[in-house]
Amino acid sequence: MNNTTENNWSDKHLIDRVLCGDTRAFGIIIKNTENLVAQIVFKLIPVSEDRKDIAQDVYLKVFYHLSGFKFQSKLSTWIAQVAYNACLSWIEKKKPLLPGNLFDEDIYEGSTDPGYSGLFIANESESRIFQKELSGILSKEIGGLPRIYQTLITLFHHEFMSYEELSQITGLPVGTVKSYLFRARKMLKENLLSKYKKEAL
Amino acid sequence: MNYSHPSELEIQEYALDKSECATAVTEHIESCTICSTEVKTYQLMFSEIKQQPAPAFDFNLSGLVIPQIKKSSSKFSVDNFIAGFLVLFASFCIGIPVFLFRKNILYMFTGVPSFFIYAIIGSTSIILIIKILLMYKKYQNQMRFLNIN
Repeated sequence: MNNTTENNWSDKHLIDRVLCGDTRAFGIIIKNTENLVAQIVFKLIPVSEDRKDIAQDVYLKVFYHLSGFKFQSKLSTWIAQVAYNACLSWIEKKKPLLPGNLFDEDIYEGSTDPGYSGLFIANESESRIFQKELSGILSKEIGGLPRIYQTLITLFHHEFMSYEELSQITGLPVGTVKSYLFRARKMLKENLLSKYKKEAL
Repeated sequence: MNYSHPSELEIQEYALDKSECATAVTEHIESCTICSTEVKTYQLMFSEIKQQPAPAFDFNLSGLVIPQIKKSSSKFSVDNFIAGFLVLFASFCIGIPVFLFRKNILYMFTGVPSFFIYAIIGSTSIILIIKILLMYKKYQNQMRFLNIN
């Protein structure tokens, strides 16, 4: 059987096969969802050595609790929820050893200049160079956001998850997820603008 | 045309999906250079986020997990057997005395001084309150690390 067919198997079919003892089917589940798990683990766990243990722990938990999966969400959403909770447990255990807040929202001062020109550049060649720079700056600025904002923004804009799915993963109400995403986008935009202005000067 | 600028939230909503926005907001943004620049900034930002390289584990995850599953599957059946035996043993330990003293069970709790009942209720409540406080503290610590509070 080729890989494409395997990847297209439904969650139900894959779970049934895993429960019948087919470990290869579990390998397919890992392959299909590890990028999503990586997004969460990389955003929430700053210590790179521990990511390996957490990723393994996530899939072992998934395996042992698979029979309890109720199909109330997509399998990937459930696995993301397990990953998010595993990261929170790790945070709780390692809290005293971790550095302080990487970016305190309270001391943040965004650009409030009403006369800013935005990030848009009309000239095409300038625009191309700018977009290369922007990508690097954006990556750095996303890393500077509070961890929960980084996670939400990445899952929403990069993994195209819905507000409801994000709510299920994080255990936060949908309204809170929307509010955090709004604040994260605003903060990111204002950080980018102030950074861009500094570099332009 | 509506002359008051839309809120930041409305601008974000427009940048995400303009079909979800009210007509007045759409009309304003399309005719206002300040607001349309704001929208374009957001749209540029969103498209750049989409293009950001996704992080990936630098190890073979399924290669690490699958052998552990295979190893623990055999251990799992032994564990199941031990757990089943313990449950059966516990059932006998409880069931036999209950069967033998079934006539006296109903009288077991009669004549207990009310002081003991209050002590049981009180200590249970205290344990429950401590548990809730610990849970709340744990939640607060997690949220603090996530830089929300």
